[in-house]
Amino acid sequence: MRPAIVLLFTLLLLPGVLYAQLERQRVVTDQAVELTFMAPRNINLFTVEPLSKGELHYSIMHTFGEVNSGAGDLWGVDRGANVRFSFEYGFGDNVSLGFGRSSMDKIYDMSARIVLIRQKRDGSVPVSISAAPAVGINTSGFGFLDQDYSFSDRLNFSLALPIARKFSDDFSLMVVPMAVHFNRVGPELNISDPQVNTYFSTGVGGRYKFASRTALSFQYVPPLTDAENLNANIGIGIDIETGGHVFQMFFTTSRALNESYLIAGENGNFFDREFRFGFNINRLFRIR
Amino acid sequence: MKFIHLTLLFLVFLLLRYDCVFGQSYMSEEGYVEFISRAPLLEFKGKSDHLTGLIDLDQNLIDFYVDLNTIDTGIQRRNRDMRSTYLKTDTFPFAEFSGKLLTEFDPQSEGEQQVKTRGIFTIHGVEREIDVEGTLEPRNGGLKLNASWTILLDDYNIERPRVLFYELADEQVVNISVLLSPRIN
Repeated sequence: MRPAIVLLFTLLLLPGVLYAQLERQRVVTDQAVELTFMAPRNINLFTVEPLSKGELHYSIMHTFGEVNSGAGDLWGVDRGANVRFSFEYGFGDNVSLGFGRSSMDKIYDMSARIVLIRQKRDGSVPVSISAAPAVGINTSGFGFLDQDYSFSDRLNFSLALPIARKFSDDFSLMVVPMAVHFNRVGPELNISDPQVNTYFSTGVGGRYKFASRTALSFQYVPPLTDAENLNANIGIGIDIETGGHVFQMFFTTSRALNESYLIAGENGNFFDREFRFGFNINRLFRIR
Repeated sequence: MKFIHLTLLFLVFLLLRYDCVFGQSYMSEEGYVEFISRAPLLEFKGKSDHLTGLIDLDQNLIDFYVDLNTIDTGIQRRNRDMRSTYLKTDTFPFAEFSGKLLTEFDPQSEGEQQVKTRGIFTIHGVEREIDVEGTLEPRNGGLKLNASWTILLDDYNIERPRVLFYELADEQVVNISVLLSPRIN
């Protein structure tokens, strides 16, 4: 009998607990981490930031001459710009295809970004990983050479595998193993070593938000290939997000704006003021 | 003999805690909530069908919350901006209201009855006491609730961009509509 009385008192006390405020429970518990970076590129490096299905990303990117040209050339702005425009469209939430054109060496390129793994908010997946293969074609005129470039000679290929983690709302970091191959090289190309066809590197990029829509960003692509005149590609910039547009302004040692030339290009020495001003404008449209 | 004792105890329990077993407590996990932003050049809604709520008439308790990660504005980039940049849903995942009825409500009367509530509305980690007016209607053994109020994003320290290409109004109209079923404990 005594246990039954204890049970009765327990039941009498229980309703007070049941009638309290509802326990807050998340509906979405395994949501992917979002906005690891503000745009599909962080300065110049591909990021893991995916497009959603039906989204069109347009960007126009610039780098100017080296700032050590002085005030007479407006610190490099009068030295002409390498300009790249590109479009990228999300065919699914994990796959997008892009098309771009860079004025340096008149490169047209096609690229893809495939989301392989997404970092989860619950910590079950610690990083996001994407694959970004690209093929470029050099459309410069090489009629002045003894042996003109064939179609195959003009092709270059790159593969980047950005691996990124958003450590907090403010800080994201990525490591980007990259490989590049030029079918044909020579002094007529804007690359560091006209004897080397294949380049490897592992870039590092990151951003730190110091205001809700403004971030410091950086990239470092070290020279890991045994090639002449190959310097690190170093960039430091500011990203400003304005709701639909992302403006990126930066100083970088490289003129290059596409993957192949980012690690093979002729990079200046950052500490000898051989860096340039550049800026990107990113715009996102919803097509459907 | 032991069976009779237990039966008697159970009956005593029912008598003493009648409100628990047959009390006037209603709940839903599928309510509708929308946040409407009306800026001069653009109006858009963020909607969710995951409003979870409790109305306990015996304890005069009204308690609602929504997982802000379920809000859909119709544009995925805008959703991502909303979650990460404005509402910071990793840190503050819920919008919630918890309060009490200020006016009488008769669950035995048919038709809509105007009700007024007062409670704490919380979003972005900021709590403010607000009054909300709406209607309650007994329906299919449960309660149908409709309510609407406005909030100012500034009041909740939700920063808005100064240069913005899709405009976000400071004033947000919040509408909720939910059919609550009797809660069985």
